[in-house]
Amino acid sequence: MSLRSNKRTVDLQVITDWVTDGARVLDLGCGRGVLLQELAQQKKTQGIGVDLDIDKIGACVRRGLAAYQGDMMSFMAEFDDNHFGHVICSRTLEEVDSPATVIAEALRVGRSLTVGFANYGYWKNRLDALLRGRKPRNDVFNTTWGESRPANPLTIADFEDFCASHGYTIARRVHLRGDWKTPATRLPNLRAGYALYEITR
Amino acid sequence: MNDAEPDAFDLATAEPGEVGIVRPQDYTSAEPFTFECGRTIPGFTLRYETYGRLNAAGTNAILVCHALSGDHHCAGIHGLTDRKPGWWNNIIGPGKALDTNRYFVTCCNVLGGCQGSTGPSSTDPATGQPYGVNFPIVTIRDMVRAQHRWLTAIGVTHLHAIVGGSMGGMQVLEWGLSFPDFASRLLAMATTARESAQAIAFNEVGRQAILQDPDWAQGNYPAGGGPRVGLAIARMMAHITYLSDASMDRKFGRRTVAERPPSATQPTAAGTTSDPDHAFDVTFEVESYLRYQGKAFINRFDANSYLYITRALDQYDPAAATGSLEKAVAAITARTLVVGFTSDWLFPPEQNRAIVTALLRAGKNASYAELETDLGHDSFLLESPQLYDLVRDFLAS
Repeated sequence: MSLRSNKRTVDLQVITDWVTDGARVLDLGCGRGVLLQELAQQKKTQGIGVDLDIDKIGACVRRGLAAYQGDMMSFMAEFDDNHFGHVICSRTLEEVDSPATVIAEALRVGRSLTVGFANYGYWKNRLDALLRGRKPRNDVFNTTWGESRPANPLTIADFEDFCASHGYTIARRVHLRGDWKTPATRLPNLRAGYALYEITR
Repeated sequence: MNDAEPDAFDLATAEPGEVGIVRPQDYTSAEPFTFECGRTIPGFTLRYETYGRLNAAGTNAILVCHALSGDHHCAGIHGLTDRKPGWWNNIIGPGKALDTNRYFVTCCNVLGGCQGSTGPSSTDPATGQPYGVNFPIVTIRDMVRAQHRWLTAIGVTHLHAIVGGSMGGMQVLEWGLSFPDFASRLLAMATTARESAQAIAFNEVGRQAILQDPDWAQGNYPAGGGPRVGLAIARMMAHITYLSDASMDRKFGRRTVAERPPSATQPTAAGTTSDPDHAFDVTFEVESYLRYQGKAFINRFDANSYLYITRALDQYDPAAATGSLEKAVAAITARTLVVGFTSDWLFPPEQNRAIVTALLRAGKNASYAELETDLGHDSFLLESPQLYDLVRDFLAS
């Protein structure tokens, strides 16, 4: 199993553990529907994925999942408060135009928001920037500048500050080391490569 | 809302995977049929075609629903001299997205139509004359109810899927509402659950062109006669709404026709000639194309059918009774996929999306995909590997 799919497995398992059986789940930036399928199988969820890419929507449709191609903000606007049990942004927030707006809307339509992101404050990223003066490139950020997608990277410290200043409650958190498997409990902003949070209003 | 106008069909270069020569069949019901409006006719006929084989359990059938001016002939050819195959030949056939090796694909001409199915041009048994405008007002739901009777009669116990674009998409939606247990999958494209004022307005212009043609004669025109001018104008106008600015520009631009009638041949552009008879002869290719479309249409379509079917389109609004589309779709149990096209300005993406969001609010399994095209409303008919993959995946899932 490649490092990448190993990472995916832990990430998926943590999120899956946090989701309530039979819940309504909204996956923003659902990609090919791997997580939604896992949730449908393990937790009997009623899920819907949103993505901009038609090929990804096609892949979800092939798996029998519900998927919606389009803008996540206008999609969420169609739903009442608390329509979903969980909204999930797994490696999505780094790529949206206005993360604070997306988070606020996700917490309106959902009772909780699960966020997963690569930690920009990871020590290897700091070293890359400090010593080499380059965009970090390591086991957490593994693409060159030219092949990277538009990103608005964040750190564990950024995210926790953000939650505190907006009054969001951090219900759960998991910090993983650079292998995205082993828990990083001490000094997570320095030592964790990957972070998962569940927040509520 | 359109029938396809595929390019001339060349049998010599036809891909393997054509359904080949097909023969339309007629289903006739001798049971009375009561329309939504309350009126009853003693029976009806639907003309249909089938491709592929129905399995023993009768469960591998896919119903294709046609658009406004379409018909039952959606795949294959009727004879070796046919220039064009059926209107959705590109998607139906062995190995194609609607794979006739796996599925039993069928399509009928709708109730109210004019190409073999009972409609205003059919003979009213009570008078021995064509129904004309005495035909009962037909609705999308009536069309679907008639299809249900036909499918049940030919041994289809369950539909694997129902597929259609434009008015066909409205029928797909209505099937899900009227007969929720009959199909496992609903696939609607370039459609709407309720026409906008603009779409109704275009249909009204078409109807007025027909109604104000003196040859319409209050609907009592003889067979082969009727409001040919009005019907052609209706068709020309409607055809514009199926295309897009970009696609017309690419296809025609401002190119002028190469050959002008001899008497109108002038070195100057049309409109500058002093002879008023020729000032408005065909100048641009797009004019020639539209005139051809109009002419071709009057030879195969009944003006009264056009009036009835556009009325059915305009009146379709399943949300009206319940107050919201979300409540209306509560009955649907089938998985649904709706496909919108970015350049469709007749039934634009947001109207397609609205069906899916209503289904999702109601807790249904529904998906929405949007194809980036510049071909306008007719995009659903055109060759697109991306669309084929999507359809194939949905049917296989």
